[in-house]
Amino acid sequence: MKITLVKKILADGSPCKKCADVLDKLENSGQISRIDEIVIADERNPDSTGMQLAKTLEVDRAPFFIVEDDAGNTEVYTVYMKFVKEVLDQKTEESDELQEIMSNEDLDFL
Amino acid sequence: MSTHIPLTDINAELQSATPQAILRHALQEHDNIAISFSGAEDVVLVHMAAEIRPGVKVFCLDTGRLHAETYAFIETVRKRYDIQLEILFPDAAQVQKLVSEKGLFSFYEDQHQECCGIRKVGPLRKKLLTLDAWVTGQRKDQSPGTRADIPVVQADKAFSRPGETLTKYNPLANWSSQQVWDYIRALDVPFNPLHSKGFVSIGCEPCTRAILPGEHERAGRWWWEESTKKECGLHSTNIDK
Repeated sequence: MKITLVKKILADGSPCKKCADVLDKLENSGQISRIDEIVIADERNPDSTGMQLAKTLEVDRAPFFIVEDDAGNTEVYTVYMKFVKEVLDQKTEESDELQEIMSNEDLDFL
Repeated sequence: MSTHIPLTDINAELQSATPQAILRHALQEHDNIAISFSGAEDVVLVHMAAEIRPGVKVFCLDTGRLHAETYAFIETVRKRYDIQLEILFPDAAQVQKLVSEKGLFSFYEDQHQECCGIRKVGPLRKKLLTLDAWVTGQRKDQSPGTRADIPVVQADKAFSRPGETLTKYNPLANWSSQQVWDYIRALDVPFNPLHSKGFVSIGCEPCTRAILPGEHERAGRWWWEESTKKECGLHSTNIDK
């Protein structure tokens, strides 16, 4: 299995706060070692590796994780809690999962 | 459920299609599909879908905090259309814990995400885990900042089952509010009476207010919170270059 984390640099050149938060969590939990590669989606450069991956994989937000299994199947995770629960087998609190989704997703049409 | 669908190609093909054509495509492609209905002007989707597929599945989130007018309107829709309307409720234990610890109006003090997470996202996720596809009333003009790029069809990566694809259709993506209301009036579609009182975007009662002429509809939701652009989005105009 290969895990790639795509983090973002904003159009004004500043780092993405959510990406930094996710990296902090991975480091604090020791699970950063499970990440094989970290690539940048630089909004100033559409040719940056992360921006191209986002385009190819139809992802419209960052950070996101690309999980490639040994058979070559690719799964994309845009929700950190979903990723650590399903891929890293980490126990998560449902309230944390729901809050992350609510913060990330644009759900006020419901 | 398919593990890979070329949704980008389908999206491109359906970009200029009418909402009815998009809905027809969605309902033909998926048996296990349902329409989310908020009790607002997305009633047009219910109207269209009931004509295309009588008995179509529709679900509605009852957060327990909706306006009396919205509950009455949901009932009007249930009786008027040939649909299977399912009302979804939040987990009682989670609501009780939140209210016991933080009271009934915690969202005014520490923002709405926790309450919405329990009352809306929890039951929504539980429902979506049972579906192959769902339909929403999202439109680009609802928020130029966060919805300008929404496609008519996309893979919903937030709510999909592990290793599977959940397809999300937004048939109204390219319609304006004006087009929605022209449709409602032309076809005598019932609508939530709150719209006649200045409410544009309708959610829970404590978190929704009427807006003034010239105000964007988003001004009617969570107005006490700082209006900030969602940072997690990747600007697709850059991606497309």
